[in-house]
Amino acid sequence: MSARRLTRSRARGAAVVAGAALLLTACSSGGGGGAEEEGDDDGPIRIGISLPLTGDFSEPGKGVQNGYEIWRDEINEAGGLLGRQVELVILDDQSNADRVVADYEALITQEEVDLIFGPFSSRLVLPSARVAEEYGMLFVEPAGAAEDIFAAGYRNLFYAAPAVADTHYDYLFDHLMSLPDGERPETASFASMDDPLAMGAANGLKAKLEEAGVEILVDEIYPPNTTDFSGIAAQLAEADADLLVGGTQYQDGVNMILAVRQLGYQPRMAAFTTAPTLPEFVEAIGADKVDGIMTPNGYSPAAEYEGNANFVEMVMEKEGREPTEDEANAYTVGQVVTAAVEAVGCAEQGDCQTELVDWLHENEVATIVGDLRWDEAGRPNGAHFIQQYVDGSPEIVLPEDQATAEFIAVKPEW
Amino acid sequence: MSSALLLQSLILGILLGGLYALLASGLTLYFGVMRVVMIAHSAFLILAGYLAWFFTVQTGLDPMISLLITVPLFFGIGVLMQRLLITRLKPASLTMMSVLLTFAIALVIEGMLGFTFTGVQRRIRLDYGASSIEVLGAQVAVVKLVAFGLAALALGSLWFVLKKTSFGQALRATIQHKEAAELVGIDTAKVASYGFGLGLATAAVGGTALALDATIYPSLHWHWIGPLMAIIVVGGLGSIPGAAVAAMLLGVTQSLLQVPLGTTWAQTVFYVALFVTLMVRPQGFFGGRLAQRF
Repeated sequence: MSARRLTRSRARGAAVVAGAALLLTACSSGGGGGAEEEGDDDGPIRIGISLPLTGDFSEPGKGVQNGYEIWRDEINEAGGLLGRQVELVILDDQSNADRVVADYEALITQEEVDLIFGPFSSRLVLPSARVAEEYGMLFVEPAGAAEDIFAAGYRNLFYAAPAVADTHYDYLFDHLMSLPDGERPETASFASMDDPLAMGAANGLKAKLEEAGVEILVDEIYPPNTTDFSGIAAQLAEADADLLVGGTQYQDGVNMILAVRQLGYQPRMAAFTTAPTLPEFVEAIGADKVDGIMTPNGYSPAAEYEGNANFVEMVMEKEGREPTEDEANAYTVGQVVTAAVEAVGCAEQGDCQTELVDWLHENEVATIVGDLRWDEAGRPNGAHFIQQYVDGSPEIVLPEDQATAEFIAVKPEW
Repeated sequence: MSSALLLQSLILGILLGGLYALLASGLTLYFGVMRVVMIAHSAFLILAGYLAWFFTVQTGLDPMISLLITVPLFFGIGVLMQRLLITRLKPASLTMMSVLLTFAIALVIEGMLGFTFTGVQRRIRLDYGASSIEVLGAQVAVVKLVAFGLAALALGSLWFVLKKTSFGQALRATIQHKEAAELVGIDTAKVASYGFGLGLATAAVGGTALALDATIYPSLHWHWIGPLMAIIVVGGLGSIPGAAVAAMLLGVTQSLLQVPLGTTWAQTVFYVALFVTLMVRPQGFFGGRLAQRF
């Protein structure tokens, strides 16, 4: 091979590599899967669900699946829904927003399921809510708290959790404002993932703090595929704000905390979404370093709400641990739909769906996350607890009447 | 941007660049030796990260000790992979078909990791995970320094093997001119499989270095393969020094751009560099003569 041909072949190789690189970053998932089963009106009630069982959201996706399955097992043991057994038809959307749309269309038109439950994560709820609306299906969802979802004004959508993202930090904000001068944070830094839920909660708090005169020093948005947080941490450390708020999912939260610790930044208060609610958080950060870290949490295993003790017991029995927020929210979806179906007395496509939607708009449902009622766009009326790590374990600190431990105003060093 | 932040970003960029260089070195080696585009390289990095994590969880020892197991293991896997799979591809369509083959391998690794260790995101907890030392007012994280040291050590060893051993000579001869190498009596098939093994051995070191200061999960490799491919194209395919220089430059540029442009735009530096390279100098900026020399 002559030198020139070598160069040309190297250039062609470069083109192949470059093409592959672009393709791969665009499509971070592949393959397929599906379920094919026949259904008829006298058989079981079939519920169609698309979940991110693989890909970036696979972990919370499996939590939601588990919550749905626990609800199914419980209801089937008790004789079923309207006397019919419940069957879940679950497809894997691979955490991909295009797949989730195709999945729900297939579930409704080809599988002809009787009911549908929502997927996980605001990013996937948003496109699937539109499909549900088009087919006139009741759409109760466990994990779409972002304001964008409600702003679309879908009448058939209900969020089965206590509060929407913007209000997640409301208890914390109220508490901060009640603190005397000097204890109240004067500056705050924000770093959020470009994701509707993660950003929604952080932005809700940011808007309120700004209005209250707290100075925002850093306001950084990073794409979901960010894994290196040293650059962001350098900015956060340099700004040295009193309050650090991370609009995080999981890995970004852990990586961000480690990165700011490496740079010696010690904020007086620190709050992150989602990551601190997961059991592996303490394992990753270390039990002696988590104290004082706050997070909004829509679910507490200790809360005395309808069926909660029973639900905790079932999860303990099956998994040997307390339920996660994802499992709880999925189970709540089941509770909400059960209440509507039993009140209306039907579960099938067509007019029945409209009746179910109407019923939910007019009634309150008792669930494991409290008594839920929704506005016209499906926003629930409740509020999130504020959870804080105390002596290495997660405790509810706000609101005070549900608190299991006292609020730590100055976070111990991490 | 204050000077303190500038210095901090510069140091972080250099440390990041060193890690990029290590992660990309194997990738460029495969291409240099046998024109294979190894999509599964980053999947092997994550696999090594998982093995390091698993090793630490099981034994309580430092994850770097796992290298004693993973480096020979990955070398063996590389040799077998080349012997049993890559050589079956037709030489005429090797580059294209290797994309498909290694894509499949990447999916298998991701699936197996998810099956074995579940999708729970893991992070090795190290006593020195958050400690840092102060250099000229900037904080240098110990784990990043260790990862950089690993990168320097691995790249140094790679340089030594390629440059100072007769196997290295044979490998370089195979990279430069396969037919001529055969004419002087080099068993290029054997050399190529060892070369592939060597590339995968760097993935063992790189994955362990990565796992020291990152949270790992099965699908993480998709986030890495794009930037790494961009690095080796910019550096000139097949050139290890080229990849190292490109990695360092892109790492520092990304780190410095993060402050004025934000994280989202700073990430695009890899693709901008990729486009510019393809338009201006498709053989890579540091390839050509450098590649021949190594």
